Amino acid sequence: MTDMTKDRVEQLIDYIMKKCLWQFHSRNWDRERQNKGILGMTTALLCDEPVDIEDPKERCYWVDAVVLADAYRTRYPWINTLSKDEIRELMAALHARLDHLTITGSLNAELTDKNY
Amino acid sequence: MTCEFKIKDRVGTINPIFTCQPAGAQYASIGIKDCIGIVHGGQGCVMFVRLLISQHLKESFEIASSSVHEDGAVFGALDRVEQAVDVLLMRYPHVKVVPIITTCSTEVIGDDVDGVITKLQEELLDVKYPDREVHLIPIHTPSFVGSMVSGYDVAVRDFVKHFSKKGKPSLKINLITGWVNPGDVKELKHLLAAMEVEANVLFEIESFDSPLMPDGSAVSHGSTTIADLEDTANAQGTIALNRYEGGAAAKWLQKRWDVPAVIGPTPIGIRNTDTFLQNVKAMTGHPIPDSLVRERGIAIDAITDLTHMFLADKRVAIYGNPDLVLGLAEYCLDLEMKPVLLLLGDENAGYAEDPRIKALQENVSHDMEIVYNADLFELEQRLKDGLELDLIMGHSKGRFVSMDYKVPMLRVGFPTYDRAGLYRYPVVGYAGATWLAEQMANTIFSDMEYKNNREWILNMW
Amino acid sequence: MPYHEFECSTCIPERKQHAVVKAPGEDLTSCLPLGYLNTIPGSISERGCAYCGAKHVIGTPMKDVIHISHGPIGCTYDTWQTKRYISDNGNFQLRYTFATDVREKHIVFGAEKLLKQNIIEAFKAHPDIKRMTIYQTCATALIGDDIDAIAGEVMEEMPDVDIFVCNSPGFAGPSQSGGHHKINIAWVNNKVGTVEPEITSDYVINYVGEYNIQGDQEVMLDFFKRMGIQVLSTFTGNGKYDDLRAMHRAHLNVLECARSAEYICNELRVRYGIPRLDIDGFGFEPLSASLRKIGLFFGIEDRAQAIIDEETRKWKPALDWYKERLKGKKVCLWPGGSKLWHWANVIEEEMGVRVVSVYTKFGHQGDMEKGIARCSEGALAIDDPNELEGLEALERLKPDVIFTGKRPGEVAKKVGVPYLNAHAYHNGPYKGYEGWVRFARDIYNAIYSPIHQLASLDISKDPIPTSHGFMTPEMISDAGLDEAVRASDVLRPYTGKADIITPLREKTDYPEFPRRQSAAE
Repeated sequence: MTDMTKDRVEQLIDYIMKKCLWQFHSRNWDRERQNKGILGMTTALLCDEPVDIEDPKERCYWVDAVVLADAYRTRYPWINTLSKDEIRELMAALHARLDHLTITGSLNAELTDKNY
Repeated sequence: MTCEFKIKDRVGTINPIFTCQPAGAQYASIGIKDCIGIVHGGQGCVMFVRLLISQHLKESFEIASSSVHEDGAVFGALDRVEQAVDVLLMRYPHVKVVPIITTCSTEVIGDDVDGVITKLQEELLDVKYPDREVHLIPIHTPSFVGSMVSGYDVAVRDFVKHFSKKGKPSLKINLITGWVNPGDVKELKHLLAAMEVEANVLFEIESFDSPLMPDGSAVSHGSTTIADLEDTANAQGTIALNRYEGGAAAKWLQKRWDVPAVIGPTPIGIRNTDTFLQNVKAMTGHPIPDSLVRERGIAIDAITDLTHMFLADKRVAIYGNPDLVLGLAEYCLDLEMKPVLLLLGDENAGYAEDPRIKALQENVSHDMEIVYNADLFELEQRLKDGLELDLIMGHSKGRFVSMDYKVPMLRVGFPTYDRAGLYRYPVVGYAGATWLAEQMANTIFSDMEYKNNREWILNMW
Repeated sequence: MPYHEFECSTCIPERKQHAVVKAPGEDLTSCLPLGYLNTIPGSISERGCAYCGAKHVIGTPMKDVIHISHGPIGCTYDTWQTKRYISDNGNFQLRYTFATDVREKHIVFGAEKLLKQNIIEAFKAHPDIKRMTIYQTCATALIGDDIDAIAGEVMEEMPDVDIFVCNSPGFAGPSQSGGHHKINIAWVNNKVGTVEPEITSDYVINYVGEYNIQGDQEVMLDFFKRMGIQVLSTFTGNGKYDDLRAMHRAHLNVLECARSAEYICNELRVRYGIPRLDIDGFGFEPLSASLRKIGLFFGIEDRAQAIIDEETRKWKPALDWYKERLKGKKVCLWPGGSKLWHWANVIEEEMGVRVVSVYTKFGHQGDMEKGIARCSEGALAIDDPNELEGLEALERLKPDVIFTGKRPGEVAKKVGVPYLNAHAYHNGPYKGYEGWVRFARDIYNAIYSPIHQLASLDISKDPIPTSHGFMTPEMISDAGLDEAVRASDVLRPYTGKADIITPLREKTDYPEFPRRQSAAE
């Protein structure tokens, strides 16, 4: 990852950390699903790709994604200059980073509890 | 016309008047200098009691918990006590007195607190703190016995039991105040000072009316010392103002150390304050000085302005701690008022034999009920059924009854968190008699104005 | 790991892992204290018990219910009238509390008969109330009373009543959080799905983890009604028992306090497929984003946007008036659980203050993850704080204000730090746009109190200003302010009425939105 990508990922991460709550569900499996669902939708929105939001669960990811994508476009204007491939690459890096911070690298000992 | 003495006929409690025994022991514990109690039970038994007392006094102070969790409840939790004592002593180097106050959970599981104290003495105190004066005192206050009132009584007795030590006879007296406010202690000490009588005061809590100092140095805590408690064995006598809150300690001192005990009366009102001073005089031989004659005169002057004009025939309900309620009822009668309902919030075998209750039964000429094991729903139900009242006296937890039934209420007792500063004022002594009469009158006056009930009578007075 | 070791706690080394400083370069993989572990006995922790977490926090805000604690009187007395969760039915839940009054003989011989008598008595005393929750306590858990059996018996004999049993004794967990969990799970297991609601809108939510402190729920309900959303139930502030039995019919669970109520949302998602949307009702931007998300979910974003625009236009100038005057003020954000993350970032962004410390009394590591993520660099984060650590932190950080509970607030007062009640609020509500301005106003009034200024003066040695007979908060706050800000004709302080909830209860002019044909049929 280039330094510039790294820096951009950190900007995007910072926004999620300060403004969002969806990445902090209480169990690993939830966090995986949430991160994937919402960042996946966000990527699609940023790339102007269609999303399937018939299922309420998907729709719930989508609402968080819409607000996130809008915030990214407004707060980080550089994102509007990227190509779709660049966005996909950036968002993949963001997803990996978020998974690291909230799941694989998380120090939260409760994430692996079997029950809610 | 009768005065009926009876028990509440429901088995359950709707809106309790009291909380449970450990709370009383905790309130007693904060009166002692260099003392932090450990409540052996769940954390709520401390957290909420601290909150309650802190709401009343608008101050904070320390009480610790042994934090019994699930494993302790299943396998026994004495290890939690052991750890709690050590942690507390390590982190609070000034602490010398550590009562271990039990609760329902730790009494049900049968934790041997007395045994663990012996163990701690040998294995912890003698080894790790050999040069430090530390007193571990078991206080058994299961919540399913008695109430906060008996918890206070048990704790005072057990503190005295632990500390009192025969030494040189002293000219002091023991004054056991019962569950009172900082303002009461200040007034009681003032009366004794006027008579030039020195006392071991259990407990000196007037410092809970503490300052906010520019350097942030002020702390709120009681100031009765270990020396005061030790010296209780050597006093000329003990005056326990409240039969149910400190009476047991006075009796124990008499039995164990031959310290003569006078129990009661709660010096609420002129008459009971007179009796209290006569008791002090009889015990010490010190005369009652002119200054107190004058103070009494000032009180009577103020009360005379109120009693037959405004207070006479006013129908009052009183609830709360038994000695407070009975003291207030006696004073109300002296003020020509009609205490029609007294609610005592627990079931105490001693009530039936209480001479004050007997005297009320023998002498009161209006319809009156004294209900024990009572709750605040007893008051509400009677109002619902048509009981007419001009005034309620009691603590803040009954505030909704007053509001719902539009009966003015004077906050008195514990807790009074919904009024500012009441802990600062005495209800005992001549000053207390004045304060009570004037507050009752002002409470009634405000109510007259809100209800346009002969409010014009105050156009001139 | 950037652990912070308190001097007062060096003798209990396990405490070291319960406090961290969010130093530059730290993230959640290197900076997170331990949490929700058993309390260290004797540490003078501020935690409560699992009974209070169940009964006092979550159960009792239900407004049409007899709340009875099966045990000695103390548990119920101590948790009675110590919160400000109001309701629109005359506050029955605040005014009445019930204890079965278990005595020594019951400990020996069992208290089930006593419980049954109590239940019957309580219903008789309040003939209009047909719902009841029974809370187990330490004593009755240990003697093994079968509360469920008794409740079942009574329900058979009295078919018009319904009883919920919550077995969450005080010792059941390291803190009140154990009780949150137990009552969540008990409710979803035993009561959800037992009532079928009338659906009146195409857009149906449960509003979860909201306890109507000083009217917060009613403020948010107003927004939902303006959007044409049916709020099936509120878990549990201002909530109705039977509404909460019908939670399974919502289309969306809107969750505020995830600490105390995520469990039921998670279970409703697994069992009934209802999605969980975490929101923030506090702060203009987070609240706007939250309303927008709910609008988006139902395809009525325009309705949300209209509210956002109107409320922001109305209240932003007042919020900014305070922001200008609160800039750089240091805050210790020391609540129980969820407010540490609800407030940590948004009070910095929207009020200009600096959060120098967060703590949680009963939270889990998940709450600290959120709180630390939302804090700025340098903040001190403490799990399960105790009395001495709190004092040491105050001494070190010298905050201008502290948001915490009543009793710790008294501790702060003594060392010259003004306090706002983080649990019950000073003069709320604090949710909603106007509520958020009221919070800013309360912070301002605390920090710029002329009396607070006088408190630190030592008349025996400090120079004492004798030129003024009085000071106003504005004379103090505006002394160093830019002229442009001071003279701004846009910014203005809050002038709303003390009671903003009663008018909401009386409000009837909500828009009527026609239902979609297919749904209405």
